[in-house]
Amino acid sequence: MQLHPLHFGRNLRENLVAKLMKDVEGTCSGQHGFVVAITGIENIGKGLICDGTGFVTFAMKYQCVVFRPFKGEILEAVVTMVNKMGFFAEAGPVQIFVSNHLIPDDMEFQSGDMPNYTTSDGSVKIQKDSEVRLKIIGTRVDATEIFCIGTIKDDFLGVINDPATA
Amino acid sequence: MSLAESPVHSSSSDDFTGFLERALGSGSSHSSPDEEADYESDDGSERSTKRRKVENLGSIGKTHGSTSQVFVEENSEASPKKVICTHPGSVKDLCIVCGQRVDEKSGVPLGYIHKDFWLNNDEIDRVRSTDIKKSLHLKKLYLVLDLDHTLLNSTHLNHMTAEEEYLHSQTDSLQDVSNGSLFRVDVMHMMTKLRPFVRKFLKEASEMFEMYIYTMGERAYALEMAKLLDPRKEYFGDRVISRDDGTQKHQKGLDVVLGHESAALILDDTENAWTKHKDNLILMERYHFFRSSCHQFGFHCKSLSELKSDESEPEGALATVLEVLKRIHNMFFYESKDNLIDRDVRQVLKTLRKEILKGCKIVFSRVFPSKFQAENHQLWKMAEQLGATCSTELDPSVTHVVSTDAGTEKSRWAVKEKKFLVHPQWIEASNYMWLKQAEDKFPVKQTKT
Repeated sequence: MQLHPLHFGRNLRENLVAKLMKDVEGTCSGQHGFVVAITGIENIGKGLICDGTGFVTFAMKYQCVVFRPFKGEILEAVVTMVNKMGFFAEAGPVQIFVSNHLIPDDMEFQSGDMPNYTTSDGSVKIQKDSEVRLKIIGTRVDATEIFCIGTIKDDFLGVINDPATA
Repeated sequence: MSLAESPVHSSSSDDFTGFLERALGSGSSHSSPDEEADYESDDGSERSTKRRKVENLGSIGKTHGSTSQVFVEENSEASPKKVICTHPGSVKDLCIVCGQRVDEKSGVPLGYIHKDFWLNNDEIDRVRSTDIKKSLHLKKLYLVLDLDHTLLNSTHLNHMTAEEEYLHSQTDSLQDVSNGSLFRVDVMHMMTKLRPFVRKFLKEASEMFEMYIYTMGERAYALEMAKLLDPRKEYFGDRVISRDDGTQKHQKGLDVVLGHESAALILDDTENAWTKHKDNLILMERYHFFRSSCHQFGFHCKSLSELKSDESEPEGALATVLEVLKRIHNMFFYESKDNLIDRDVRQVLKTLRKEILKGCKIVFSRVFPSKFQAENHQLWKMAEQLGATCSTELDPSVTHVVSTDAGTEKSRWAVKEKKFLVHPQWIEASNYMWLKQAEDKFPVKQTKT
């Protein structure tokens, strides 16, 4: 963690922690997933002054809550877009695509100004802003984002809250 | 497997053994169970289905060992089928069905749905064929709309002339775009004028068609314009295709449109963009509102903006084409006797076009360059598409002489024989208006020589 000499003084530690939170929370690392919140600082190393700029680099060890979906995990997500090929949903920062191959066969795509997947009797409907419970079957973790493929073609998966009826 | 050695002996076991041996082939009776397991797994499914049948027939002589063996075999047979996934499409290199990493991309990119969204050709065919059944059931066809010069006209703010400055004070607010028609889109540094009638056009067309926007503009521009045309996202949804999403440079193609070609119509002002889909295309008269746009196409007259006028709302190009679309829709669904799924909108379009100049026999005079093969000229082809017959020779059956010069021999013949003498624009106008135009509106002037 690099710190400007401006912040040196009594509050050095607080400033370091504040900057760490600002820089790290909400980011995504390929190795660990999304950093949701920093829960504690384990230790702060000795500062290393950088020649010329006066910046000081501290090695910091911290604990944090991370979010990294795994294959087989069950997640709850909000539908963002519905089309002929399936739908996209978001679980926090993670984007998930559910293909129409992985939507139960009795649900059919209905076009219109509010595209949706509906069962033949109309009792269950997936449209934008619906909340669904889905299972992750594939993940792709990049440096800055995570993308998943999900399925709702399994027991106990599907709509958990319908905005139209709520 | 020799059942004679099996621990369970019942009265019927001898018969059953014989049956089994016949079914399994005589050689197996002396082999040990282990050997036979190898033998069987090599030998495919036919044998084990027989074995299962045998089990169903009589479970009396069955040993515990054989049950578990068959069970294992069944598993090994079924599992390869599950693992093989055809990878019908991928998002960000992940297969949309099995979630596995797919390295080679194949098929068509559908960047307008999600960046890095790819679908196989087979999958596209599947989506199209399931979708068309649904669309036809709802009595809907597909309509692909161009933006610039078809639905609207945009100009860069820097390209506006002094005479157009007054427009700045007349722009409509971006807060409520549903009624305005002139907008200043500052993020794009653009001034945009929607074509008159476009609101009503979209509303009525949306009842007959599933609509796509397909523009040669950039993605950001396309989305901005879609916001102006369709603020509630009720017409286009995510079906906004831009230059970045096409599969070929400087070409538009229906390959990225998830609708069957036999049910898709295109409205565009540029014929050359759709070389592969000319039969689906309804050519539009270009809408030039701004000065810069006129200039770009080589017109040096005053633009509509400078004249402070605009295209007529009830008689403009969009109103005309809406009528045509209605007729096509009507013919497609109600007047054709073919099976619904076999109908082709291209055929309907062709038939309808042929009605326009039906019964006209046209002779051209001094329209084509003298050495030009007349049959290949654009006007000749256009006239034939409109249902007219073209000829190079004068005879009494000729109804129209098309000429740019009233002084030619053929033109004078037309006047003498009381045939219509019209300017080539008559054909073009009829083509755009989808109606035979009054001949007297297109007189031929005597050129002074």
